[in-house]
Amino acid sequence: MNVLPGIATLSVGERKILQDFVDEHQLFYGPDPAIMRNHRLEPRTDMEDVAMNKHDDPHLLNQVRGRVISALSESFRMVEQMGAAPGAKWGDLVTAIFTASGDLSEISPAGIVTFAGVCQYPIKFINKYWTDDPSVGVRHGDGFIHNDSRYGGIHNTDQSMMMPVFHEGELVCWVSSTIHEGENGAIEPGGMPAKAESRFDEGLKMSPFRIVEDFQVKRDILTFLQNSVRDPKLQYEDVKVKLHACIRLMERVRSVIAEFGKDALVAYLRRNLEDTEAEVRRRITELPDGVVRFNTWIDSTLREPALVKIACAARVKGDRMCMDFRGSSPQLSNRSINAVIGSTKVCFLTGVLQNIWPDLPHNLGVLAAFDFETDPNSLIDANNEAPCAMSLLPMFRTITVATVSFPKFIYGLPDGAKARATVTIAGQYNQPATFVYGGLTQHMDVTGNFCADINGNGQGARENRDGEHSVSPLFGFMCDTGEQELAEEELPMVRLIAQHLARDRVGWGKYRGGLGFEQMVTVRGTNMWGFMTGQSGSWFCSAPGLFGGYNCPAYPIGKVKDVNVFDWFAVEGNAARFPYGIVELMNEQPIEGARYLTADAGMTFELVEEGEIYMICQGAGAGYGDVLEREPEAVMKDLREDLISHESARDIYHVVYDARTLIVDVEATAKARADEREARKARGRKYADFVADWVTETPSLDLPYYGSWGDPSTVYTGSGAARQVLDAGTIQPIFMADPRDVRIAELEAQLAAKG
Amino acid sequence: MKRVSVDIGGTFTDCFVIWGDRYVQSKALTTKHNLALGFNEALDFACREVGTTRETMLAEVDSVRYATTLGTNALIERQGPRIGLITTAGFKSTVPLSRGRGYGEGLSQKQQQDIPNAERPHPLVPIEMIRIVRERIDYKGDIVIALDENDLRVQIRDLVDAGAEAIVVALTNAVVNPVHELRIQEIFVEDYPEHMLGALPLLLSHQVAGRKGEYVRSMSTIMDAFLHKVMYFGLSSLERNLRGSGYDKPMLVVHNSGGMAQLNSTDALQTVHSGPVSGIAAAEHLAKQAGLGNVVATDMGGTSYDIGLVVDGGVKFYDFQPTIERWLVTVPMVHLATLGSGGGSIAQHNRMYDTVQCGPKSAGSDPGPACYDRGGMKPTVTDADLVLGYLDPGNYANGYIKLNPKRARQVLEDEICDALDLDLIAAAKLIKTTVDLDMANGVATELRGFGYEPSEFTLLTYGGNGPLHACGIARGLNIGRILAPPFASCFSACGAGNLSQLHIHEMSTFTVLFDSNVKQLFTDFPTFNAMVEELERRGREDLLRQGMPEDKIQYRLELDMRYGNQRVQTTVVTDLTRLSSIADVVKLIGQFHKSYGDRFGEGSQAAEAGVRINTIRVCSFVEVDAVDFQNIHPGGKRVETPAPVGSRACHFVDHDGAIETAIYGEDALEHGVVIDGPAIVTTSHTTYLVEPGWRYEAAAQGAVWFTRIDA
Repeated sequence: MNVLPGIATLSVGERKILQDFVDEHQLFYGPDPAIMRNHRLEPRTDMEDVAMNKHDDPHLLNQVRGRVISALSESFRMVEQMGAAPGAKWGDLVTAIFTASGDLSEISPAGIVTFAGVCQYPIKFINKYWTDDPSVGVRHGDGFIHNDSRYGGIHNTDQSMMMPVFHEGELVCWVSSTIHEGENGAIEPGGMPAKAESRFDEGLKMSPFRIVEDFQVKRDILTFLQNSVRDPKLQYEDVKVKLHACIRLMERVRSVIAEFGKDALVAYLRRNLEDTEAEVRRRITELPDGVVRFNTWIDSTLREPALVKIACAARVKGDRMCMDFRGSSPQLSNRSINAVIGSTKVCFLTGVLQNIWPDLPHNLGVLAAFDFETDPNSLIDANNEAPCAMSLLPMFRTITVATVSFPKFIYGLPDGAKARATVTIAGQYNQPATFVYGGLTQHMDVTGNFCADINGNGQGARENRDGEHSVSPLFGFMCDTGEQELAEEELPMVRLIAQHLARDRVGWGKYRGGLGFEQMVTVRGTNMWGFMTGQSGSWFCSAPGLFGGYNCPAYPIGKVKDVNVFDWFAVEGNAARFPYGIVELMNEQPIEGARYLTADAGMTFELVEEGEIYMICQGAGAGYGDVLEREPEAVMKDLREDLISHESARDIYHVVYDARTLIVDVEATAKARADEREARKARGRKYADFVADWVTETPSLDLPYYGSWGDPSTVYTGSGAARQVLDAGTIQPIFMADPRDVRIAELEAQLAAKG
Repeated sequence: MKRVSVDIGGTFTDCFVIWGDRYVQSKALTTKHNLALGFNEALDFACREVGTTRETMLAEVDSVRYATTLGTNALIERQGPRIGLITTAGFKSTVPLSRGRGYGEGLSQKQQQDIPNAERPHPLVPIEMIRIVRERIDYKGDIVIALDENDLRVQIRDLVDAGAEAIVVALTNAVVNPVHELRIQEIFVEDYPEHMLGALPLLLSHQVAGRKGEYVRSMSTIMDAFLHKVMYFGLSSLERNLRGSGYDKPMLVVHNSGGMAQLNSTDALQTVHSGPVSGIAAAEHLAKQAGLGNVVATDMGGTSYDIGLVVDGGVKFYDFQPTIERWLVTVPMVHLATLGSGGGSIAQHNRMYDTVQCGPKSAGSDPGPACYDRGGMKPTVTDADLVLGYLDPGNYANGYIKLNPKRARQVLEDEICDALDLDLIAAAKLIKTTVDLDMANGVATELRGFGYEPSEFTLLTYGGNGPLHACGIARGLNIGRILAPPFASCFSACGAGNLSQLHIHEMSTFTVLFDSNVKQLFTDFPTFNAMVEELERRGREDLLRQGMPEDKIQYRLELDMRYGNQRVQTTVVTDLTRLSSIADVVKLIGQFHKSYGDRFGEGSQAAEAGVRINTIRVCSFVEVDAVDFQNIHPGGKRVETPAPVGSRACHFVDHDGAIETAIYGEDALEHGVVIDGPAIVTTSHTTYLVEPGWRYEAAAQGAVWFTRIDA
């Protein structure tokens, strides 16, 4: 049942009449706000009450938990090994189990929690709309598929299979399997179209529907799906993969029921959630009451530069913690970087589990303990018309919000506090820094997907040590950046730089962030290949430093066009002149006749000629603590490993040393640092003076700015004469001008100026 | 048959001697400073038992075989040379970044999940010892960028100047065209000939691993270089010791692929984990000879629980990218899963679930469980076992370790009882149940991951704590048959005595058996057969070099196959030795279809997306005589049950109150002894806990069966 707009003006009796009529004559079962906006646990059902009254022994339920986790682990391994999508091969997948009501209760030990977290929404949709619909129904042996983020999902490239588990005719739980599939028939290949201007550009949009009956895939429906995408082989294979993982998981769950009884399983699934929520509330109680604000900006819509704000104020009072995102940018209705509220919340959950409380079970109980406030029609609470294909941009920042906000609360807690479950960490690099590709493979299959480099974000520095280089994606652990030899066997790409930690791409600090690696790629033996990216962070840093540590640098994309580098390499002596570094290649420009381009890292799909070079960089994590407190020997180690320049060592870390031997002059260093501290004081200003000089009432008019400016209740959009000032609570979606039209207008203006 | 086989472990050196129809097992402490001393001591024990001298024995045996953890220990202790790495330009950070996930290899899932505490292991090659060389070969083997030899010489010189003691060359796509790696070797030998002072070894990646995957191949080669010296000196000192004692045949070294070879035909990497793999090999031989059917081999020690699979029909389970210590490598290693559960696993209160959690933290052997009285302050599984009455405080580990029950009780009360509001016995029972089910779940995940049901298996249990927890684990798996095998205390050494001389050679390939785009079956049989012939040639040369008669050499062809673009590589062992028709191709696809369906579920096959062979592997071997396991089936011979040596009040899961439980000694191992549980049999090597509802039955050669009688 959808809540009807305007219903509040009617009498109670009239409301019921209207509601009944509309329910009976539903035109379209769209995403249901009642489902999508609710992140709390569903009320206990009668079945759960009975089960929990019968089974209150935590030790027995722990045995059930062990069996279920074993089953989840087994099914995860199946998907990982059988999956055809690169995402499945390199860790972008999950299997999960949900209560009968659809609450996520447990995920596979190594899976991506984000996928499972959003999968509960389509399950709840199926429960609500299809169970009693005589044309659909939910039966033993059914399998439902889904990918539309508006019904629950991060973006439409992720596909989930969901199966109900029955016992003696009664629905006892749901199981699921999700893979980041890649290609989905969108306006650009690869499943994450940066160019999408409406949801109709996003390719396949599967609301939750049945594709499996009696454990058999409906071939007519599968054919429809294959016909809707560029890679029908992938679609075929992975539907079967997800189905059979679900079947295996279901079999195991049924064997748990056979051994322990249905009630024990039901009690475990529910108790798991309630125990987790209670634990999270206990941890929140340990935090001091107060407010921590963290604002961050996306610097590109992937079509044009813009400062798009994600605002957040984290408020703690007693056992409640509210994440207040009001004042964030309005929804950009013809850009692909929007996200629906369900995704926003689940990505925040991911941040909490990834970097703050990794010891907690990965389930809805964690999320249910938090409150959220957002502005409807904002970038992170978009309406159902907004394209969300590149929702990764705001979503990754939501993960960062958790990483950066909590340490301010946790800082003063004693070591034994449960809320201090792991070390405090500065921001991890938060861009999907990878190439998305499309074209013909080495074996003449049509493909569209992304490279595993996305899994190599540099880690933020820790309270007690440096961050690890390129350690994981922002949203998962034990993911994989892959093997290039295997990738090149499939794809006509040649890595001129596969993985190279480049000098000074670092978040400096007492402890430095882990570095990310450069990627330099070209294509060979094909005239049907292209690239795009979904990366921003070319203007505004993507990993915020902590407690005095520096942010990571900003990274553009580099291109060398109009040349075939393989022909150039074939000329004797040229290879010896090729610099294996992005900065060096772009500065030295050794390939004669080539066009060297540097641009915002966000790039829509473009075809690539053989031998043209594209370059991006996985970013560094941020630094922690004051650079002047970094051990001089650690600075020398960074120099020996060519991770920083001598300029960094001298001018940022203020270490005095012999440049040839790298032997530190301890006394001179102490003096240099003392001098720098004095210099800082000399450069310092009174806060009031700083505010008077620095703070403006509104963002500069020439700044393409979206979001609040200080006061979260007022939101600014755009620049120049087109700028609007809106009330945050009633903002309307924004439409942006076509960048080509903007460019034409600029050129025409230049022409006009020349007379 | 006369033969000596040895498993040199971290603590004990186990020796298994076949002397005609006599089988003798003996143990001595491993002498890390000189492995030969421990070996000699263990061998001398065995010699005394058969009434001969070491010299006589070594002169008469057909072979001496070694399985050793020497390599594993060297890795753990980082005892190795300073290695320089030369790699393809653009791939400089491939090894340090370890595919991102390298921080978590070899750790528990909980540790992997704690990303903020992620820390890659101390590198075997520091970043400053990595150099790039300008060259590039593409996926087909075509040269894209020629090798820059002038630059190469500079890089080598640079590494030598930086103190490299060994150099690894790992170039991209070298397995499809090794020309640049080989050229680097030539240049290196020119510039740094062997006779030159300070000459150092240089290893080429394509000669260590034949598969694609630049990171794992680099790591394999690095690990080989790292271990080479310590393994060479360790094993050659053993060989010299043998020579000095009258042994004049080649010394054989067990490989983790499940075979063995002479020392001079052994890469260091192949020896890592050879001890546990020997145990699985022994299980395989035992299962085959005794007709046990499917067997899951489990070894429960103080800190870990190793699991290996042996199934009917000779199906082989390999890890193609196993984790060795903390690194992913590429070497076909017999599949071995390890859980972090053992007697030393620490039990703690889990606040969230209000129950007990065992591991992953372990008290290890130092300080060990609280009851060891060596400073351990946390309750462990062994403490719970002691409280429940299963262990004899005065006769644990053959009397080596005196247990303090008071300490065990105290830590359980402090850490578990108060938090959970349980009495001491209930807390101890909860710990035992939890650890048993953790291990059962681990075994179930392993077996089901390969498509098998645990209830179809016999649980083979060995290792110090295995027979103590076997009934509890088996109950959790719905397994009704447990076998503590013959020669259980030296089972890995016994396994080494069974191995064939075997060499595995493999080749990455992109062979499409069914191309679904054009709907064609594979027909290029000469190319396929030429690859098989080449692999057979390499194996044959290895064996001929070691003096094996050519007419005894056998080959087993194994193909790693997959549908479409999947990652999984299901191994098909085929009786086809060559392809000559599309009927052969369809037969291969059919074999693959069946094994895939068995593993992932009937209907999960997807030939419609195409069928490919990714790797061709040939195992070349010569079968030799093996240990004769006698009829060890239960239910045969019966002898009178010996009198108990005492009794203790023991507590069992699912039974209220204490049960006065009979304790039996070494004589209960006599073939034909039958005891119904509850009972405890304590021998010098282990403790057999016969839980209520189980029957103990001693079989031939010291084997013991546990059979469930209450089901």
